[in-house]
Amino acid sequence: MRGEPQKRISPKALKVWRLHGVIQTLLLAIVVAGVIVLSTLFDWPVWIMAAAIAVLLLFTYMMIFFLPTIRWKRWRYEVREQEIELQRGFIFVKRTLVPMVRVQHVDTVQGPILKKYHLSTITISTAATVHEIPALDTDEADELRHSISLLARVAEDDV
Amino acid sequence: MMSEYKRLHPISAVASFLKQLKELIIPFVLLFVLNSRGEKGGFWDYMPLISMGAVLLIVLAAGVIKWLRFTYRLEEGELRIEYGLFVKKKRYIPFDRIQSLNFSEGIIHRPFGLVKVKVETAGSSNPGESEAELTAILKEEALELERIIYREKKKGQLPDTAEESEIHEESSHKEGNVVFKMSAKDIWVLAATSGGIGVILSGVAVFFSQFSEFIPYETVYDEIMVFVKSGLLIIAVLSFVLLLAAWIFSVGWTFVVYGDFKIRMNDDNIVITRGLLEKKQVTVPLNRVQGIRVVENPVRQLFGYCTVVIENAGGSALEKDSSTIKLIPVVKKKRVSELLAKIFPDYELAEDFQRLPKRALRKYIIRAVDWVIIPVVILSIMFWPLGLFSLLLAIPFAILGFFQYRAGGWRISGNQLSLQYRGVLKHTAYLKKSRVQSLDSTVSWFQSKRDLSSISATLKSGQTGYTSEVKDLEVEDAAEIYSWYSHE
Repeated sequence: MRGEPQKRISPKALKVWRLHGVIQTLLLAIVVAGVIVLSTLFDWPVWIMAAAIAVLLLFTYMMIFFLPTIRWKRWRYEVREQEIELQRGFIFVKRTLVPMVRVQHVDTVQGPILKKYHLSTITISTAATVHEIPALDTDEADELRHSISLLARVAEDDV
Repeated sequence: MMSEYKRLHPISAVASFLKQLKELIIPFVLLFVLNSRGEKGGFWDYMPLISMGAVLLIVLAAGVIKWLRFTYRLEEGELRIEYGLFVKKKRYIPFDRIQSLNFSEGIIHRPFGLVKVKVETAGSSNPGESEAELTAILKEEALELERIIYREKKKGQLPDTAEESEIHEESSHKEGNVVFKMSAKDIWVLAATSGGIGVILSGVAVFFSQFSEFIPYETVYDEIMVFVKSGLLIIAVLSFVLLLAAWIFSVGWTFVVYGDFKIRMNDDNIVITRGLLEKKQVTVPLNRVQGIRVVENPVRQLFGYCTVVIENAGGSALEKDSSTIKLIPVVKKKRVSELLAKIFPDYELAEDFQRLPKRALRKYIIRAVDWVIIPVVILSIMFWPLGLFSLLLAIPFAILGFFQYRAGGWRISGNQLSLQYRGVLKHTAYLKKSRVQSLDSTVSWFQSKRDLSSISATLKSGQTGYTSEVKDLEVEDAAEIYSWYSHE
């Protein structure tokens, strides 16, 4: 197998993912706060409160610091003349090949958070599958979308 | 070119009436039962019955009007259908968008020599939009329709081959050559091994579990008396008889549904016909076939039988499972390669698969046993220490893991990738490079320590996809498959 794909996604993705992590952590914090209130009210054993706080701390570390970093480090992609290659995943490192001839259409999507950071996500659809490259710089994403659709149009079938 | 407006056979009015009637039966019975109590007096007591009659009349009239309003014709290279009770709807389907015409003959159709025609189109972005159904037309008309559409399609593709299309007309007029017929014995095997076997086994199990309880005892006679008195034996026998009856029924049903099963090759189409009472005919254009899969369920594998399915692109939104088509419901495994060679000459069905490395076995067993960890922990805590016996559950799963490991394999020949893998059923998938939509290679953290890697390939199947995955290949093997698929 040739070496891993070369291009990385925008470093700003880190900020976006951390922001997502903060939101998820806040949601969990509300639940944990509820557990703490209940356990003081009803005199539950101490270990329940301790466990809840431990879970929250671990979750915070994982979602805001650890996972975004490792995810960003792992995320690679490469658009070549005949195919697109993606690599991602933390415990399961997954590499995907999508031949240009199979590409049916390419979209860019931008949610409110991505928009704030001037980022876009590219989705590449074949007849059966959808693939995503998250958090590319919007200009770069537009350019990439354009070039993929051009390459897909000229790609020769190999039947 | 026939361009006059045509109607369906009048029987379709009756059919649509009967269909509506079927849905009305329950409310009517309810009404009737509720109304039958008490003395009948004036007009208002008969009101429910009168309104029932009125509803029936309206439904009947609606059926007739629908039939009157429904016309179809072939015009300017399109199948044009116009219909609608109040709102007139027109549906024009260009011939080259028509993938195949599927015929079926229900009990209503057969005495009149009629068929129901389903028009299948290539999967459009709006599924179900451009599909149509002609509920009942004469068989000759249906064949005529088929011939015209296929001829026009051919013309569209190759403008200057009028002569050739004549030949095609000839050949499609004939029955085509039959490549496979399911024998009565095959249908027996199909019936006996499809769920029905579970019924009969459980029946036998119930029966013998009752017996084994009293066989070892000295006082057999007394026991039997007690047994019979307690009625347990009767229940056992009765349930066995019931299950047996259910099984016999399922066998009979299989014969009705799969009787007279035939596969014909007609030009570039596979034509599958089946059914004793209701005849069904499915046409699959060869160029829509995305891949072939041989599926072996453990029971059938024991007897050396398997099922062959094909993944079909597009397919109909009306028919639930038209994307994965059972090409051959059951067949001796030995015959498969010879049969498929006739239908798909460009596929290679060799058996010399590359197997998985020995060290993958451990991963397979761990992965299968994973399923029982949580139940075992729960049971052990709840019923300590007897709950520990639940650990025995791990044994069948470990055995399954072993067989999954043994099934795993791959093979590359030219532009074809063959993958072999097992969940509970063993699959052998034959994939052409040009039909695989995307390919994944995954290395998990545990796999990377042992130099293993998984491969999965996705085909188009209906509106979505079908993914074949082989886990824990040698890393170099996975890399070879990966670079085989790479287009650079």
